[in-house]
Amino acid sequence: MAAPPDDTLAALLGESSVLAPAGRSAAAIAELSWWLFGGATLIWLVVIGLSIYAAYFGPRAHDEAKVRLLVVGGGAVIPTLVLAGVLAWGLWLMPQVKPPLPQGAVEIEVEGLQWWWRARYRAETGETAVPVANELALPVGRPAVLRLTSPDVIHSFWVPALAGKMDMIPGRETVIVLEPTRTGVFRGACAEYCGASHALMSFAVLVMEPAAWEAWLARQAAPAEPPASAAAQRGMAVFTEYGCGACHAIRGTEADGDVGPDLTHVGSRRTLAAGALPNTPDDYVRWISDVHEVKPDANMPPFGMLPEGDLAALALYLDGLT
Amino acid sequence: MKRRARTLLRRLSWRRRLGTIGAFLALAAIGGFVYAWAGLAPISARSGHWSATAWFLHFAMRQGVETRAAVSVAKPEDVDVADPALALRGAPHFAGGCAPCHGAPGQARSAIARAMTPQPPRLESRIPDWSDEELFWIVQNGIKFSAMPAWPAEHREDEVWSMVAFLRRLPGMTPAEWSRLAGLEEAAPAPVREAALAPGGPEAPGGGTRLRRLVDPPIGEILAESCVRCHGADGLGRGEGAFPKLAGQKEAYLHASLRAYARDARQSGFMRPVAVGLTDAQMRGLAEYYAGLPAGPAGAPVSDAGARALGERVATIGVPERGVPACASCHGPETSPWYPLISGQDERYLALQLEAWRDGDRGGTVFAQVMRMAAERLTDAEIAAVSAWYAAQGAPMRR
Repeated sequence: MAAPPDDTLAALLGESSVLAPAGRSAAAIAELSWWLFGGATLIWLVVIGLSIYAAYFGPRAHDEAKVRLLVVGGGAVIPTLVLAGVLAWGLWLMPQVKPPLPQGAVEIEVEGLQWWWRARYRAETGETAVPVANELALPVGRPAVLRLTSPDVIHSFWVPALAGKMDMIPGRETVIVLEPTRTGVFRGACAEYCGASHALMSFAVLVMEPAAWEAWLARQAAPAEPPASAAAQRGMAVFTEYGCGACHAIRGTEADGDVGPDLTHVGSRRTLAAGALPNTPDDYVRWISDVHEVKPDANMPPFGMLPEGDLAALALYLDGLT
Repeated sequence: MKRRARTLLRRLSWRRRLGTIGAFLALAAIGGFVYAWAGLAPISARSGHWSATAWFLHFAMRQGVETRAAVSVAKPEDVDVADPALALRGAPHFAGGCAPCHGAPGQARSAIARAMTPQPPRLESRIPDWSDEELFWIVQNGIKFSAMPAWPAEHREDEVWSMVAFLRRLPGMTPAEWSRLAGLEEAAPAPVREAALAPGGPEAPGGGTRLRRLVDPPIGEILAESCVRCHGADGLGRGEGAFPKLAGQKEAYLHASLRAYARDARQSGFMRPVAVGLTDAQMRGLAEYYAGLPAGPAGAPVSDAGARALGERVATIGVPERGVPACASCHGPETSPWYPLISGQDERYLALQLEAWRDGDRGGTVFAQVMRMAAERLTDAEIAAVSAWYAAQGAPMRR
C-alpha cells in the first residue's frame, strides 16, 4: 500500500498523536498514560485470571479468613491504593503540565472564533504585535505562553503532541504553556464542540530551530510584497473593488479589516480556512466562491458571483502573499 | 294499541331520522353539483348580487377582516400613520395601483372597474369604518372573489403601512393635494427644472424637455408615468424623505436592482409592478438616466456627538469585535460598480434598508448575501447612527 501523498490535509496539518509527544507536558502526560495502560492491563489479567480460576478450578472450600482477606484486600484496599497513587501522580504532574509562567517565554495571544484561530505574537523588542491566523510557529526548546480567549462561544485549544487541552472561555483568559522538545509540524484542533463547522477548525504548529523561527516571525511581521505579475495585480484590484478589506487585513495595503483572518502572508500557510482545504490557487477559488459548501455557516459570504477571471486573479494574488 | 305506539316509536328512532337527513343532504349535494355541471350558476357580473346575497357576502367579509386583523396584525411601534412622509410614500402607488378601480380625488373610477361585481367602492367614505390594523390586513391580503389583490411583496409590511397612512389622509383630500402627493406633476415640462437638470447642456431639438428627449432608448414615457412620481425627475426623491435618491448612483447597480425587482429577488410592491414591464434596454436606459444626474446636497449634520461618533465608527471601522465590517470598504466611489453609493442618501430609507437586511427580509442583486451577512449583527442604535451619519455626508466624487 502506497503512502498517501504529502499534500493531503492530514499531512499538511502534521502529527497529532498523544502517544508520540513533542512537548514537555505532553511527554509527562504520555508517560502517565503508559503507566495507566500497563497497570490497567496487569489488573485486568489478575481479575480475568481469578475468574478463570473460580470457573474451572473450583469449587473447593477455602479458608474463610483468607477469602475475607482477598475480598477486602483486592476489592477495597488495593483499588484505594492504586487510585490514590494515580491521583498523587496526577497532582504531582499538575505543576509540570501547568507550570508557573516561565521567564523568557514566547508570548502569544490566541483567540478561538467560529471557526478559526486569531493569534498575535507579543512584541519582544517594543515593536507592535505580529498578527497571524490559523498557523503558529514555535522555537524548539523554548517555552511559549499562550493566553487564550474567545469572543463567541467556548472553544478548546488542543495540540495533542505538545500539551493537554485548555478551554477558551468567553469573558475570561486562560493560559497554556507549550514547551516543544523536537521540531516538526503538529496539528492543533478545537476540542470543544462549538457549532456547525467545529470539525473544520484546525491549525498547524510549526516547531522550528530558533534561528528559523526568528526568520519566520520577521517574515510574518513584514508587510505584504506588491504583486509581481499583471494577473496578480488585477487580483489585488479585485480584492479592493469587492470590499474584501472590510473584513481582512493585508498589511502594506489599504485593507485593514479586523473581522476575519489577517491575510498578509496567507500564501505561506500550509492550509486554507483553518485546515479546511489545502493551499493552492484552485483551493482559493473553491473557498471564495463556495464558502458554505466547504465550511457550513462560516461567517464569510460566498463570492461565486464574481467573474471567473476575477476569481482566478484574486486566487493568484492571495496565493502569492507568502 | 300499545303495540302500535311501540312501532311508531321504533320508526322514529334516531337511526331512522339520521338516515333520512343523510339521504336528503346527499340529494342536495348531487343537485347542487348537477346545477353547476349544467352551467346554471349565475356567474354574470352584469346582474350584480341579490341584496340578500350582497348583505351576506359583505357581512362575511367584514367579520373576516375584523377577526383576522385582531388576531394577526400588530402595528410596529415605529409606525405613525399620521406621518406625512409615510402617506406621501403611498400616494404615487395609489395613483398607479388603486385609483383605476377605486378612483381618487377629482378622478372617477374607470368605466371598466364600475362594470365589476362587486363594484370596487370609492374609498373616501369607507376608510373611517376601518381601524388601521383592518386597513393593513385588507391591503396586505386582498379580498378573495372581489378582485382586490394581495400586496405583491409579502415581506414589505412597511409599504403596506405607508398605504394605510395614505388611506387615512384620503377622506376630504382635495384634487390639488392629491395631484401633488401622487407626484402627477413631477413630469410636467418646466423650463426651470430643465435648466437645473442639464446646466449648460445642449438644448433639445424643438425646445422639448430633457424627459421628452429621451426617446432612444425609449424611456421617456416610463419616466414620466412611473419613476418621477416617486424619485423625481432630478432623482432626488422629491426631497421629503419619503423616497430614495437615485441621482448619481452607480449605473450598473441601478440596472441590477431593476432586474432584481423584476425577478422578485428584491421585494417591493411599489417597484415590482413597474419593473416587470420593462425591457432590458429600458432598464439600462433608466439606469443611465438617473446615474447621469448630479447628486444632491448632504442632509443635516448629526447633532448628537455620541451618535455622530458611533455612526462614523460603524461606517469607517465597523464593529470588528461583533463581526460587523466597515461600510466604507464596499460603499464608495472606487469599489465595484454593483456596490451602491450611500453617502447623502435619505436617512430613513437607509435605516429601513438596514433593518430589512438585518432581519433577512431584503434581497437584491447577486451580491445580496454579502450585505445580508454584513448587516446581521447590527444593533438598533448602530443602524440609527450610521444611517444618520451617511445621510449627512456629501455625495462622493465619482471616478
